[in-house]
Amino acid sequence: MQQALEVKNLQKSYGKFEAVKNISFSVKEGEIFGLIGPNGAGKSTTLKMISTLLSIGNGSISVFEYDVAKQPDKVREIISYLPEEAGAYKNLKGRNYLKLMAALYIDDSQKQKEYVQRGEEISGLGVRLNDKISTYSKGMTRKLLLARTLMSMPKLAIMDEPTSGLDVVNALEVRNIIKEYAKKGMAVLVSSHNMLEVEYLSDSVGIIDKGIIHDIGTSIDLKKKYNANNLEEVFVKATK
Amino acid sequence: MKKFLVLLKKEIMELLTPQVIAPLLITVALFGILGNVVGREQKKADQPKTITVVNYDQTPLSNTLIDVFSKNNLKVESNTDSQLDKIISTAQVKEDTAVIVIPSGFEQSVLSLSPKQIEVYNLVHNFSLMGIKDFASIAAGIGAVNNAVSNQLIAAGNVGDPTILKMPVQANNYVVVGDKKANTSPEQVMGFIQSQTAFIPIILFIVIVFASQMIATTIAQEKENKTLETLLTTPVNRKYIVISKMAGAGIIALASSVIYMFGMKNYLNNISGGTMSQAGVGISEAVKELGLVFTPESYIYLGISLFFCILGALAISLILGAFAEDVKSVAGLTSPLMVLVAIPYFVTMFLDINTVSPVLRYVIYAIPFSHPFLAAPNLFLGNYTSVIYGIIYQAIFFVIFVLIAAKIFSTDKIVTMKLNFSKKK
Repeated sequence: MQQALEVKNLQKSYGKFEAVKNISFSVKEGEIFGLIGPNGAGKSTTLKMISTLLSIGNGSISVFEYDVAKQPDKVREIISYLPEEAGAYKNLKGRNYLKLMAALYIDDSQKQKEYVQRGEEISGLGVRLNDKISTYSKGMTRKLLLARTLMSMPKLAIMDEPTSGLDVVNALEVRNIIKEYAKKGMAVLVSSHNMLEVEYLSDSVGIIDKGIIHDIGTSIDLKKKYNANNLEEVFVKATK
Repeated sequence: MKKFLVLLKKEIMELLTPQVIAPLLITVALFGILGNVVGREQKKADQPKTITVVNYDQTPLSNTLIDVFSKNNLKVESNTDSQLDKIISTAQVKEDTAVIVIPSGFEQSVLSLSPKQIEVYNLVHNFSLMGIKDFASIAAGIGAVNNAVSNQLIAAGNVGDPTILKMPVQANNYVVVGDKKANTSPEQVMGFIQSQTAFIPIILFIVIVFASQMIATTIAQEKENKTLETLLTTPVNRKYIVISKMAGAGIIALASSVIYMFGMKNYLNNISGGTMSQAGVGISEAVKELGLVFTPESYIYLGISLFFCILGALAISLILGAFAEDVKSVAGLTSPLMVLVAIPYFVTMFLDINTVSPVLRYVIYAIPFSHPFLAAPNLFLGNYTSVIYGIIYQAIFFVIFVLIAAKIFSTDKIVTMKLNFSKKK
């Protein structure tokens, strides 16, 4: 099976500060890969490089057959990125926002309608999609943005703290939606500092701290290796 | 009260950011320099004005006139050529302020209290406030001449019409623009042109400020509302993002400039009609005789110059907007741009660009926003070539800066760029 994402010896510096130091990992098709680590570990920088927002310092990133540095336009056609602090155009109504984003992803009007319909189902916002986004709560906006991320059925979905700021109920809903779409063959790269969430969600996990990946494996394998009850304990032991 | 002061202090500290202070300091410095420069040029403008006097009378009284002119901040050069048109052309090339013709038999006509008029050909080179001041010098000179001759007549015991005794030297004024002349006073013509051209820079300033703030704000809003990163990761060519932002703001700005041009046309038409009723047919006919009317071609050139000026401002604002982290910082970031628009506005209002020091002239020409301000008076004077060069320059400027903007958007600079004044640890 082709790797959906292959990161090799990735490095990124901001001046003298090395945010990401020589990390490597891969994500298979249909796999949910969780990148866990505390704030400032380098997760967001890694995700931004993969999603073509930031230039790569050193190393390489491939998304399926496309090199992120050399073919960013091709990569953007098959990925979808949900930033940690994403917003939506507040003057638009929810449905119109989905229509706008669908039109940016695909030219075919029939496919656009499919995307929007899928987006409406994912968001679960119902009649509230007829209202302006400025009237939405944080949870509603995040669900709309998640819908935007998944509605185009990207080959690789990249989500930075997908349940950031959400209450327990909404967070659970979001995790279930992610799992559902991964089962449909979508590769998902998720980053979070909520290790219990990642443990629940991910097939494989990468532990990152201070720009270095300390270990990679399934939750079960890592807990066994470090003799830990959960990923939080794994993290503490792996980064010692 | 204490709590109010705590809140007030917080508000002021929040507003006093480097993004606000730095542009403010730059603006103050630039205005200081501007004031200095205009002041120096104004002092230059206070130098004696050169007039050519054609003395066909060659009598003691006519020589008195020349003498009085010389003592009233006017530098007199004589010319005795018989062809007046040739004298006027020569004076125009030398950039003299006026040609004054003292007719043959002048002294005799004054002494007999039925004076012949002297002819004053006021040569218009520009429509700045300094230009208006030049003609005031001529009028003051003629006033001084009247005093001197009036005193002579009264001292000699002449009696007669007191009006003539008080004003024995009467001037028949002509205004000369290029190869056209009209029998009217320069104050009326200059006032008429000023009333029209004063409107243009104000509206231009407003349109540029409006368009620039609009586009810089859209970028800042995308950053503040966290929509920019999502947009940049969609499969949309980043050049399209740049062009769509500029086109959106440009369409609105173009609509504004078209509406402005229609409004200006109506204003000018009403002014011409109003002037006819207020000042008689005279000034309106005189202005037409002098060719100082905006033709459809003039409107097109002015419109194109304005359009490219706005596009250039949009391109720069797009780049400045990329530095903004939020909407609050946009006003501060775009203020240097406003100053670059204000400089040519003030300079062209007060000074004749062709007589300022070469350094200042080239600085003004280098600022792309100067050219629409220079265009209106140049179009009145029929200087189409300089307007066309201005349009070409603005077009090149726009292309360069839009390419820079496209480059910023196509790299991670659009995400990482910001003004950082903090000390590096």
